[in-house]
Amino acid sequence: MNQMLIRARKSVFLATGISLLAMTSALAGEVTVWSWDPNFNGATMKEAAARYSASHPDMTINLVDFAKADLEQKLQAQLASGTTEGLPDIVLIEDYGAQKYLLSFPGAFEPLNGKIDYSGFAPYKVELATVDGNTYSMPFDSGVTGLFYRTDILAEAGYSAADLQDIDWDQFIEIAKVVKEKTGHPMLGVDLNDAGALRILLQSMGGWYFTADGQPAIAGDAKFKAALSTYAKLLQTKEIYKPVSGWTEYTGGFVSGEVASVFTGVWMTATIKAANMSGQWGVAPLPKMPGVEGATHASNLGGSSWYVLSSSAEKDEAVDFLAEVWGKDVDFYQKILVDQGALGSLLAAREGEAYKANDAYFGGQAVWQSFSDWLAAVPAVNYGIFTNEVDAAVAAQLPALAEGGSIDDAIAAIDAQVRAQIQ
Amino acid sequence: MTRIFAQLRLGLVYGALSLAAFVSIFPFFWMLVGTTNTANDIIKGKVTFGSALFDNIANLFAQVDMLQVFWNSAFLAIVGTILTLAISSLAGYAFEMFPSKTRERVFAVLLLTLSIPFAAIMVPLFVMMAKLTLINTFTAILLPSIASVFIIFYFRQATKAFPHELRDAAKIDGLKEWQIFLYIYLPVMRSTYAAAIIIVFMANWNNYLWPLIVLQTNDNKTLTLVVSSLASSYYPDYGVVMVATVLATLPTIIVFFLLQRRFVEGLTGSVK
Repeated sequence: MNQMLIRARKSVFLATGISLLAMTSALAGEVTVWSWDPNFNGATMKEAAARYSASHPDMTINLVDFAKADLEQKLQAQLASGTTEGLPDIVLIEDYGAQKYLLSFPGAFEPLNGKIDYSGFAPYKVELATVDGNTYSMPFDSGVTGLFYRTDILAEAGYSAADLQDIDWDQFIEIAKVVKEKTGHPMLGVDLNDAGALRILLQSMGGWYFTADGQPAIAGDAKFKAALSTYAKLLQTKEIYKPVSGWTEYTGGFVSGEVASVFTGVWMTATIKAANMSGQWGVAPLPKMPGVEGATHASNLGGSSWYVLSSSAEKDEAVDFLAEVWGKDVDFYQKILVDQGALGSLLAAREGEAYKANDAYFGGQAVWQSFSDWLAAVPAVNYGIFTNEVDAAVAAQLPALAEGGSIDDAIAAIDAQVRAQIQ
Repeated sequence: MTRIFAQLRLGLVYGALSLAAFVSIFPFFWMLVGTTNTANDIIKGKVTFGSALFDNIANLFAQVDMLQVFWNSAFLAIVGTILTLAISSLAGYAFEMFPSKTRERVFAVLLLTLSIPFAAIMVPLFVMMAKLTLINTFTAILLPSIASVFIIFYFRQATKAFPHELRDAAKIDGLKEWQIFLYIYLPVMRSTYAAAIIIVFMANWNNYLWPLIVLQTNDNKTLTLVVSSLASSYYPDYGVVMVATVLATLPTIIVFFLLQRRFVEGLTGSVK
């Protein structure tokens, strides 16, 4: 009896084992893509695949989505393991991390020069994925920045759209003071744990945390000091912003109608539109840095690009797919702009209908034309490998700066922390 | 006078306890309220029940193959728990019942491995699994976890309280070692098993990093990976995230309440 029982148990274990083993499968002719938001970048990839398979019926796409941080950790671990098993054919990487992956894992990604005409894309998007003259990315969504603002609140304070054109940050702070005084609304929501705003200011004048050869550009760097001083000035004008903590409270500030403006990447459009305040919002150029040579109204926050893995068995098909659809299909870019609110980096896309359309939500403004104007003007910088490390060092100093702390002390502390970490 | 002080003390104690209870209960309450509200209302900080529950549920099921994902998590948690308890309790039993110098050394080495964080062995483990062509299989997730050093240690400690007379008596009655384990040890130690089931089930159910690295396709993903993915999109639909979170929390709550009484007994090490 017991013998039988043991035998029966053994066979159950064996059967479970076999059924588990049988779960791996890879279809031939299938391109696997990793992305991190099925409603955004995943959906655009699906649309691109549908277009490509019209002329290439053999091609199927297998879309796998992970959270962004998860995807990065997974990619990092798998590349570090040196085995290529399980890697996708195409992967989405956030632009800030591009150099890290390209430099840390040489040979892992496929250079696409000669297969894609990069002259048609926003120059800064091409630059950030270039190492030693080779460009590796298919540029995707841009994080080109603008100043989203509540037209009704600004009007109540006596400002029209014209008053927000070509202003600098000093003027912005003055406007914000008046808005607070006359309407009671804070102009901004500020999260002191987030250095994103400083990154926007830096890139708007062609500055970054690192020099072109990857050295920290912090202590002794005029642009870094200018950006930090300007941001500190804003932080010290406490009446103009609402301190928030975390992303939900940050977006909640303007979605609830309390905060009057937000300067951020174009991808925030979807969140702003979800607030159901049609006709109450407008978009102005990013204020520029006061008194700095080379200051522009164009900058960037976030954004991402597609990369082809060199280990991919479907490499040629993947590259051809990217080049055919993402590389030149202007009509495709109209579709993803309308459906997903994704602003691509192909400059020719702005000639399409959707890019020219006036948006009733933004009071009939042709917002996409404005964003694509700024897109072409975003200064190219070297994002380097350690952006996250510097971000953390900067964020650590922001509370002290908001309380009137010395700029030079903060810069020295940031520089010391960064150098200790990256050496 | 002393009565006033005593009452004051009692008041303070209850005040502190109420505060602690509020802090631990509120996230659950917030989660439940969130399932009934739209993403916009949640962002605005609405703390009253809304009417979007069915929309949120429908959206979740439209976005994710929930049945498949739930099954994946449940399968891994249940099979993982059974295998871990089988292997690790046997090991704990053996370490305590058959002491020898060599075994003590092996046990010490095992305990040392507890101090190595998983992130450090993740990459070599991935290489091993790749060589065994187990990437994207549940086997790859189960294999490294079934010999759990913590559970071995836990069973060894609990076995110290197991009356050796029982084993001796069983031996005299002619039971073999595996029969003693199965018919004597197992029933006597049921509280220990109950506590271990909760610990291992929760660990498996919430397992995150390793499944993330090993699983490669949407239809193999576990609930924790799906919740993480839902919550991190550019414009997260928090209502949907809350529904998914409730679904992810339910099984551990159910298992805990089913075994609650035994769990407490198991942790205090009682043997009946």
